Amino acid sequence: MIDLVIIGAGPAGLGAAISAAENGLEVYILDEFVKPGGRLLGQLHEEPDGKWVNGIAEAEKLYKRAIQLGVNIRCGVSVYDLMKLDQGWCVYTTDNVMECKCLLLATGASETPIPIPGWTLPGVMSIGAAQVMGNVHRVKPGKKGIIIGVNVLSAAIARELQLCGVHIESILLPQPNLLSGDAANPEKMMESLLRLSHLAPSALIRFGGKWVSPKLGARLYPKNGFKMWDIPIQLRKSALEILGEKQVEGVRVAEITANGEVVSGTEKVVSVDFVCIAGGLAPLSELAAVAGCSFRFVPELGGHVPLHNEYMQTNLTGLYVAGNITGVESAKVARAQGTAAGLSIARELNALADHADEKIEAAIMEVMETRKNALIQFQPGIEEARKKLYSEFYETSEKASMI
Amino acid sequence: MGDNETVICRCEEITLKEIKETIERYQCSAREVKLRTRAGMGPCGGRTCRCMIDRLVEQLGGPSISNEISLSYRPPVRPVSFGVLGGDVK
Ligand SMILES: Cc1cc2nc3c(=O)[nH]c(=O)nc-3n(C[C@H](O)[C@H](O)[C@H](O)COP(=O)(O)OP(=O)(O)OC[C@H]3O[C@@H](n4cnc5c(N)ncnc54)[C@H](O)[C@@H]3O)c2cc1C
Ligand code: FES
Repeated sequence: MIDLVIIGAGPAGLGAAISAAENGLEVYILDEFVKPGGRLLGQLHEEPDGKWVNGIAEAEKLYKRAIQLGVNIRCGVSVYDLMKLDQGWCVYTTDNVMECKCLLLATGASETPIPIPGWTLPGVMSIGAAQVMGNVHRVKPGKKGIIIGVNVLSAAIARELQLCGVHIESILLPQPNLLSGDAANPEKMMESLLRLSHLAPSALIRFGGKWVSPKLGARLYPKNGFKMWDIPIQLRKSALEILGEKQVEGVRVAEITANGEVVSGTEKVVSVDFVCIAGGLAPLSELAAVAGCSFRFVPELGGHVPLHNEYMQTNLTGLYVAGNITGVESAKVARAQGTAAGLSIARELNALADHADEKIEAAIMEVMETRKNALIQFQPGIEEARKKLYSEFYETSEKASMI
Repeated sequence: MGDNETVICRCEEITLKEIKETIERYQCSAREVKLRTRAGMGPCGGRTCRCMIDRLVEQLGGPSISNEISLSYRPPVRPVSFGVLGGDVK
């Protein structure tokens, strides 16, 4: 039986494979995408010290190290079911059925859509799809586009699209309705923009930056928005409908008040040939659900996450999780979680020779440190939410062991 | 095009109006919306629309989102051929 099967070759999966293989485990990674690297592949940004981080190169480094250690990586294979065995796990893939002693789910996150009239027209895509087109496949999603949804992800990807030579007309809010919730509220979006100030310090500080309260910020917000990298971010404009006969031709937009109400008589049509919808991210936990994990709903972590502890163990023996499936955070955090998971698994399989506990504790410290210094924070309150989640893990496992 | 005609479940082409009417008429859970309208039962397994269905139910006065996953996941979680399901190895 194989020691460890990892589902997902993103930074978490590759990180775990490396630390597990460094301790002598036999490791397989499965990923349904054609290339290893997961969401790292789409990333390209400038760090505060002026250095550029290219996700493709980062992924290549992790991949090479894993191969060097003898990790087997298989791409283009989907996992569609899991089953618990007496001693380990059975993994059903589109290629074959595999059995392993330990299993790690590192399946990342998926995007949350915001439905808008006209969103099924060709030329409308999720912001992540545009990122993959531009940065991974080197195909421009269009010539001129609008991004609907103001958040960390949309601002970062707008910049990447701009670097690909695509014109982004503006980033604006979705129309207020039953489903858009906070995403249509200028005040709430102002809060989330302020968490971005490190990405475009000058623009936000010129506008008021950290010293402005979100309430005031939303009210004083300039009608035509302010610009980040020359891309107008418009918190006081909203997209009402995507228009087009056979494909996207334009977006009907209107001005909104600080509370998100449409100002009548301000509607106009902006012509564009593609539209990106940026509704945010949620942990992709379907395999944890079919495996039978317990779940917790934690908005700070992006939605439903499998109950787990800081050692990346779930409540099922031999089943581990790492990366965005445990909560939406940056790629570096995912990678550090992977390292910790790989070591915990090595310990479970008695492969961690000396100083096992110290090594694992150091890896967990590294996760916390990386989290503290993360450039991108998808939601506020991640640390506290995690503390609570871990203590619930121990409470429920105590209860289970008393029965 | 009106707001109500907006498609929520793309796989099964179920509109906002159909889902809203179902929730209002039956005062029901997300699971019941799924069983009544097929929203969430398409080939993507609800990966695209489940969070919107949950949200609509919550917004329209139904049960709020809890630790329980309301639209349960069932294998296969990816579309696979009968051959693969039957154990056909490539
Ligand atoms: C669209 C998008 C953009 C992002 N942009 C940024 C950014 O700019 N900066 C940043 O720090 N973070 C960003 N993130 C967050 C990002 O998810 C993390 O940074 C990091 O990539 C998470 O690593 P991971 O290993 O947990 O998952 P991922 O990198 O997402 O890798 C998961 C892998 O699992 C595979 N997989 C999933 N399910 C299955 C299955 N059933 N069978 C087989 N394979 C499967 C997928 O193909 C994927 O390759 C973004 C996320 C998304 C979704
Ligand atoms: S979009 Fe509803 S099942 Fe796929």
